Amino acid sequence: MKKYSIKTTEKEILQKWFFLISLGSAIDKKAPDYLLQSLGWSYHAPYSGHDGIQLAIGQVFQRNVDFLFPYYRDMLTALSAGLTVEEILLNGISKATDVASGGRHMSNHFAKPEWNIQNVSSATGNHSSQAVGVARAIKYYGKKAVAISSTGEAATSEGYVYEAINGASREQLPVIFVIQDNGYGISVPKEVQTANRKVAENFVGIKNLKIIYCNGRDVFESMNAMTEAREYAIETGCPVIVQANCVRIGSHSNSDKQTLYRDENELMYTQAADPMGKFRRMLLRYKRFTDEELLKIESDAKKELNEAHRKVIVAPDPDPKTIFDFVVPEPYHPQVYKNGVHSEEGEKKSLVTALNETLLAEFRHNPDTFLWGQDVANKDKGGVFNVTKGMQLEFGTKRIFNAPIAEDYIVATANGMSRFDPKIRIVIEGAQFADYFWPALEQYVDSTHDYWRSNGKFSPNITIRLASGGYIGGGIYHSQNLEGALSTLPGARIVYPSFADDAAGLLRTSIRSAGLTLFMEPKGLYNAVAAGTVVPDDFEVPFGKARIRRAGKDLTIVTYGNTTHLSLEAADMLSDSDGWDVEVIDIRSIIPLDKETIFESVKKTSKVLVVHEDKVMSGFGAELAAIIGTECFHYLDAPIQRVGATFTPVGFSPILEQAILPSKDKIYEAAKTLLQY
Amino acid sequence: MKSIGLFYGSGTVKTSKLAKKIQMAYGEAEVELVAVETAWIDDFKSYKYIILGSSTWFDGELPDYWTELVPALEDLDMKDKKVAIFGLGDQVKYHENFADGVGLLAQLFESVGAQIFGLTSPEGYKYTRSKAYRDGKFLGLVIDVENQSSKTKGRIEEWVKQLKKEFK
Repeated sequence: MKKYSIKTTEKEILQKWFFLISLGSAIDKKAPDYLLQSLGWSYHAPYSGHDGIQLAIGQVFQRNVDFLFPYYRDMLTALSAGLTVEEILLNGISKATDVASGGRHMSNHFAKPEWNIQNVSSATGNHSSQAVGVARAIKYYGKKAVAISSTGEAATSEGYVYEAINGASREQLPVIFVIQDNGYGISVPKEVQTANRKVAENFVGIKNLKIIYCNGRDVFESMNAMTEAREYAIETGCPVIVQANCVRIGSHSNSDKQTLYRDENELMYTQAADPMGKFRRMLLRYKRFTDEELLKIESDAKKELNEAHRKVIVAPDPDPKTIFDFVVPEPYHPQVYKNGVHSEEGEKKSLVTALNETLLAEFRHNPDTFLWGQDVANKDKGGVFNVTKGMQLEFGTKRIFNAPIAEDYIVATANGMSRFDPKIRIVIEGAQFADYFWPALEQYVDSTHDYWRSNGKFSPNITIRLASGGYIGGGIYHSQNLEGALSTLPGARIVYPSFADDAAGLLRTSIRSAGLTLFMEPKGLYNAVAAGTVVPDDFEVPFGKARIRRAGKDLTIVTYGNTTHLSLEAADMLSDSDGWDVEVIDIRSIIPLDKETIFESVKKTSKVLVVHEDKVMSGFGAELAAIIGTECFHYLDAPIQRVGATFTPVGFSPILEQAILPSKDKIYEAAKTLLQY
Repeated sequence: MKSIGLFYGSGTVKTSKLAKKIQMAYGEAEVELVAVETAWIDDFKSYKYIILGSSTWFDGELPDYWTELVPALEDLDMKDKKVAIFGLGDQVKYHENFADGVGLLAQLFESVGAQIFGLTSPEGYKYTRSKAYRDGKFLGLVIDVENQSSKTKGRIEEWVKQLKKEFK
């Protein structure tokens, strides 16, 4: 039974729809004027031709209940969902009072996080799997709601859209994937994207998935399709694709010129399919409105736009002084171990035991914690290194579970689930080995943007655990370090402990903190005797607090991870054989960095050797050396030296691995040379 | 009053030309051209025999000039009406939804009781999928001016000859 039709829909509803469509159209036409007048809106993707489906998405979405992930062409969607014209314009011209991002995110990226209208990336389609993540929370917490992910048809060429639909199908989650098919991805026609004319047909074989086809230009068909989709998703808890056929009447955006690739005939029939014209004609033809009534509605819409324009034009611009606001949320501040050190005595625990016990303790402490990843939980097995052993047995399969081998999906669903409620804390094993994390980089990068981009309104509260580094004879893809490359991205903390107690303390702080933390675990030390320590049950280590693991006065070694131990051994050799007194600082936390502890040591020793397992070339040591060189130049008696891996992949043969990675002897030699300088 | 009403999109280029050719072939005296953009229920009621013309839009849709009428047509009683359909298709560019408009119109008018006449053979056409095809026949006259324009004249003449026998 079709709920909406031109003959039966109440006049009041029709009036609201026609007003919204008229208003949207007026804004769509006015947007380029702002650019012409150098007032902003330099990116505008006109939605004209998508009127039916966008009106329907916004009308069917229930604010503060559902979660909506619009894409950059979804202006009418946002307006229909309840954003005011003023809010639309404030985003368009990047004002400080823009509710989406305060001018931080690109124009035409409409959002209102307090209503669950999500601030999403410009990376087209990557919010599909975030929508799956929030739907996972909807299901877990038993809410009658849906997640709606809206994209163009070209976005479905992205692998992560397949991951999202596959995942929602497997987990049976209430997600509506709306595909607004206008036939083009910028200038690329859809036959270049996929063989099927209707892209939704690519997903026909996927289980638990309903596909609804509709004319996205038609208001009634679109309303009926979206209504059916929402009801079905809520009733069955399963995902739905709504394939809405649209036309793109304008160019892709104001940087595109469609006359370069679409002929006059095509543009003519595209224009003839204008949804607004059709809706207007039907309102008249079925005698639901007179022409005078429609003209009045159109005039009211223009009036509302003009009034909003006058307000936004004098709205405050973003303040450049605020650029450092909301890069990373305020972390949890340890209450007992404020400096992240302890003097407890007793039985030593291995690093892997410390991690495992901390996870168990934190998941007991906070019921809104979840953990997933590849191979992390099957009955008594807890990951390839047993870090998560016992967790699924204790906390159940709804909180602790395996993920498909889809790293991007693992991170994206964590990002999405975080959107459900800020109290949620998620721990993921981003990849079985850190080296496999690269496919997830797209979601990692996006997650580093979220807090800043949303002007502090959303932070993904995730701890990403990665088993890192070598010294296990693992070779390529089982031995690499990522922290050097990832430290170039603002928006995440990166920690890399070397001892069991620090690993436990940093993990506790990560799980209790809001925001994104990359937790690097030196897998070569999981069971190493040297990394074992006494670990107080409630130990906490603050971010950005280094630990002096060996005090000295002749040379400072700044290090972290596996090489902390090698540096300590080298320092002992230097002491025993040459009488040098070397200080070893384990920075523990890469971002934020404890500059104070490093600088104090440099002032004392005047010589610095930076050591890490990652490559010397562009490793984090380059940044450390630059910081020390810039800020402590006057205290230095010798050039800063670095020891790290060679600028090669890590070899599998132990002979090659030894030649590539730093060793106690290499550190010893470098330190000795520096001490003798 | 002419006995046959030929309903077509008057704002179209190719369908319009085709409609006029069919009218000429059938005889102007018998066929009245009716612009579907302004047609209403009574217009359909007033003809005993009806010819419908449509192209196919995008990935297999009826054009707006038809879909705007659909809610009104759903109320019609066409039990005593004989209906024939012609439509345009492109076997090369749109072979997956070749002349779907013909099939969609057939479904629509059948749902209100009309009988569909003027079925044709799909021989000589090459396509992947078509809603115009059912049980070994096309549900009307299918014209491909893009790829088989030389066959248009003959196909129209054959079809009109057939209709003249069936519209009795």
